[in-house]
Amino acid sequence: MPRYLVSRLLQAVLTTFGVMTIVFFVMRLSGDPVLLLVPEGATREHIDALRRELGFDQPIWRQYLTFLAGLLRFELGVSVVQRIPAWDILASRIPYTLALAGAALVVAIGLGVPAGVTMAVWRGRWFERPIAALVVAGQSMPTFLTGILMIMLFAVTLRWLPSSGVEGPASVIMPAIALGMLSMSTFARMARIAVVDELGKDYVRAGLARGLSPGKVVARHVLRNASIPVVTIAALEIGNLLAGAIIVETVFAWPGIGQLAIQAIQSRDFLVVQAIVLFVSLVYVVVNLAADLLYASIDPRIRLGSS
Amino acid sequence: MSAVQPPRALLARAPVSIIVMGSLLVVFVVVAVFAPLLAPFDPARQSLILRLRPPGSAGPHGMTFLLGTDDLGRDLLSRVIHGARASMAVAVASVSLSLVLGSALGMLAGWRRGWVEVVIMRFVDVMLSIPAILLAVLAVAVAGPGFQTLILVLGLTRWPRYARVAYAQTLQVATLPYIRAAELAGASATRLLLRHVLPNIAGPLLVVATAEFGLMILFEAGLSFLGLGIQPPTPSWGTIMSAGRQYIERAWWLTVFPGGCLFLLVLSVNVLGDWIRDRLDPRARTRG
Amino acid sequence: MLKRLGLAIFALLASSVVQAQPFRELVTIDLPNDAATLDPHLQWDTDSYAIYRNIFDNLVTRDATGRIVPQIAESWRQVDDTTITFKIRTGVKFHDGTALTAEDVVFSIRRIIDPVLRSPQLSQFDQIASADVTDPTTVTVKTKTPYPALMAQLVKLSIVPKAVVERVGAQAFNLQPVGSGPYKLRTWQRGVSITLDAVPDYWRGRPTFDSANFRVVPDVATRVADLQTGRADIVRQLGPDEAVRLKTDARLQVLSAPTERIGYMFINAMSGPTQDVRVRRAITHAIDRKTLIDALLQGYGNEVDIVLTRANFGYVDGIGGNAYDPAKAKALLREANAVNAPLSFLTSPAYDRRLVEALQQMLQEAGFRVDIQTMDHPTFLRRRQGRPDEAGSISLGRWSCACQDADGVIFPLFRSGSTWAKYANPDFDKEVDAARSVLDEAKRLVHYRRAFEILREDVPGLGLYQDYAIYGARREVRWQPTANEAFFLFDMRWQP
Repeated sequence: MPRYLVSRLLQAVLTTFGVMTIVFFVMRLSGDPVLLLVPEGATREHIDALRRELGFDQPIWRQYLTFLAGLLRFELGVSVVQRIPAWDILASRIPYTLALAGAALVVAIGLGVPAGVTMAVWRGRWFERPIAALVVAGQSMPTFLTGILMIMLFAVTLRWLPSSGVEGPASVIMPAIALGMLSMSTFARMARIAVVDELGKDYVRAGLARGLSPGKVVARHVLRNASIPVVTIAALEIGNLLAGAIIVETVFAWPGIGQLAIQAIQSRDFLVVQAIVLFVSLVYVVVNLAADLLYASIDPRIRLGSS
Repeated sequence: MSAVQPPRALLARAPVSIIVMGSLLVVFVVVAVFAPLLAPFDPARQSLILRLRPPGSAGPHGMTFLLGTDDLGRDLLSRVIHGARASMAVAVASVSLSLVLGSALGMLAGWRRGWVEVVIMRFVDVMLSIPAILLAVLAVAVAGPGFQTLILVLGLTRWPRYARVAYAQTLQVATLPYIRAAELAGASATRLLLRHVLPNIAGPLLVVATAEFGLMILFEAGLSFLGLGIQPPTPSWGTIMSAGRQYIERAWWLTVFPGGCLFLLVLSVNVLGDWIRDRLDPRARTRG
Repeated sequence: MLKRLGLAIFALLASSVVQAQPFRELVTIDLPNDAATLDPHLQWDTDSYAIYRNIFDNLVTRDATGRIVPQIAESWRQVDDTTITFKIRTGVKFHDGTALTAEDVVFSIRRIIDPVLRSPQLSQFDQIASADVTDPTTVTVKTKTPYPALMAQLVKLSIVPKAVVERVGAQAFNLQPVGSGPYKLRTWQRGVSITLDAVPDYWRGRPTFDSANFRVVPDVATRVADLQTGRADIVRQLGPDEAVRLKTDARLQVLSAPTERIGYMFINAMSGPTQDVRVRRAITHAIDRKTLIDALLQGYGNEVDIVLTRANFGYVDGIGGNAYDPAKAKALLREANAVNAPLSFLTSPAYDRRLVEALQQMLQEAGFRVDIQTMDHPTFLRRRQGRPDEAGSISLGRWSCACQDADGVIFPLFRSGSTWAKYANPDFDKEVDAARSVLDEAKRLVHYRRAFEILREDVPGLGLYQDYAIYGARREVRWQPTANEAFFLFDMRWQP
């Protein structure tokens, strides 16, 4: 067990290192922020001087080494656009992102899993297809459209919810639905498949044959075993929920990491992008490790370290 | 055992809803393939004095704009028809690319184990932990938007999803006695993987692929919203909708028609995918 | 001098009128982006600008008609071609209670031209050779050469307190700026909002709003919804279609003004088929500006025939030579043997997609093949300002120097050696060089007329329209936006 943990942690460090390296080079290939910083009429001399001052004239490998050296000292550097430490910029967004991701996960699991279980347990009933259609609807509407439609309905027409911003818990409802809808479909489908698979297994048939009610079998055994793929999906979705909410956060003016990420990319604020990617990949690694540990507690047959 | 059945046998047992969804998909494919023949107007042809006309408005030469016009006075029906082509091409090409790449690497990792497994699966982790849309925006920034870039970016960022599924399934299948027996009997790895492992893991892969199909169309739409989708004047459903959201109150048709088409397409692909998957999966089939 | 005195009296009168106006507790403004910095010497984008300019006073400013008028400088005098002295107003206090002195003015000028600060605005002020306190209320500024645009640049110079900046350092000052303006910073929630409080004893009078909340709302459709639901009182950066939509709501109004921003098309004279001047002229005649303005900009644009707006010094009438004439365009193309010449149209999400597509169609009707190449904005800038062969054949631009002077427009755009110019003509260079080094306005105009006549013949770019700034606001807001896109809360009134 400790050996397993150590090896997983080592692999996590390697993963994070790989992520940072890929993003570093892709980012640098996309140019530097100097032209965005100077006023439109700046002369070539000023542009070159600012580029030198900011160190973007250095060869890319040297910039990479500088970056790595900073990383080893746990320093993410100071944003050249906002002139404050990149970590401070990121940290101010984390609470909003966690609130949105959490609420979206509640929406996705809260709607998706019951829908999936219903479709699996009552296969072939009349309501299976309408539920399937609703699930698909969540996955076939672009969020920039559902977002603005919700704003127009619930904020402008009905006046139930605030149209934008982060004032109070009511603010998170619409963005969480818009973001959760996409993952909701994934959860519903995975839950459906997992339950269908479990229902086909011998122990279920045996239980039914012994006269247990189908509801009891599902509640006691099937859901427990079917929850493994659901946990897997939740762990995999975490990256997308954290920084993939670019469009939802833009539409609802939600000040999370997704919005910060797109702004940082558009302003070539490299260090902020690096900080975001580092954060997201660390969360991803930790969450997936936790999910693996969780499997073992859900299903004792899975032994850690067997691979 | 091989789970592939002749198509006719599959169809014979198909319920009505599957037939309907299947026909719908066929219609979309036909429309996409024959778009230039079916569209009443040139989808790029503008008429600035005829912008934002509602469905059924009169057009030039006694023709009618059946679905109205967009914000540059272009026929919406023709744009939706041509948009089917672009949207489906992006989805099919990127899903195929990531499916092939992901399944191959996933199976390899699950079969060979050892350092091959470690390298491939850690790379999968690396790719999965960078949000795809971030990577896509970055890649488009470097390579510039366009059809090929879009497909490459989507294909190369989405393959880890297939790889994980293929890997996990291959691990299970590889322990089956008859596979081990075939291996001991000297069957080549490639042959074993293609003939025996692949059919067994095709169901779960298909589920991922059908879910991804709709997501890829949405992905292109999202990039269009950020201004980095398919290049104008070529229409895609995503570009039509992201342009049309500005006019939701004044011109509902700009979002409702492409949005409805997208829903029906994704619905048919999903329903068919789930159905075929249930047929392919030996365990699920025994019960159904 | 008399005129300046008159203006000062006018300003005094105006401030006494302010007292009679009703006040409002809070005004909420939606902006597309957060301020990048609140240190006025560091960042330069329009959103940062819209916020921090309310925290600081500037050396000089512009009135509603665009004239340069006193603010911190009470008056000024041109001593010789390269020397100008400013009389500094007394009795102005920074938010921390200390008095604003000539020392602070000199410190502000020296700070922004100090390369160590790495100010992105350096190039706007680098013609200044020195700034010195010559007596307790007088500042003398010397330029390297005679520099007619100096006053126009100084409109953008915010005065920061020397003592505070030196005490806390640049990074802390950015987070806790102290100015002498009508508002002071209360809180800055990054990426969410910035709240300012009024300074009740501000030297120009009591501000209309007791506090102001600037919210960050990137999506224009959401900004409109905020206005409709009453979450926002004023929203910045609307498009013409949103303006049309707002007009149907009786509680709301559209505030707009023609600005010094010029919508123009760049044409590459150094690479590709547009190297042939006949091809460039054909482009001029292929574009129907009137239809673009009427149909796409919904009238929120004025026709121009040069790459400059009427709001800029240096605008000259009657240059002409750009009439919409598709037949002539086709003839020119045939003459140049360039029918179906491929044009690569570089663009980015920063430019109106509809305008790009409409221009594409107009050019194709005249016999070009136009290939739109979208890229993200930083990449676009890199290519547009890079080598001629990667800058594309044509692209759009929306240019403002925030100085309302031709020198800030056609000099960087077309003077050979500039990063934007893909064009070189020594005759043109001579005219714009001369126009930036004489102070006499009549002489400058003569140079600019000649410069624009050369541009008319060579067409390295062409003016499409004068851009409008469009704001949405509650009915009760009384405010006239200005040509320099300034966003001064102090100039706004509230009338229930």
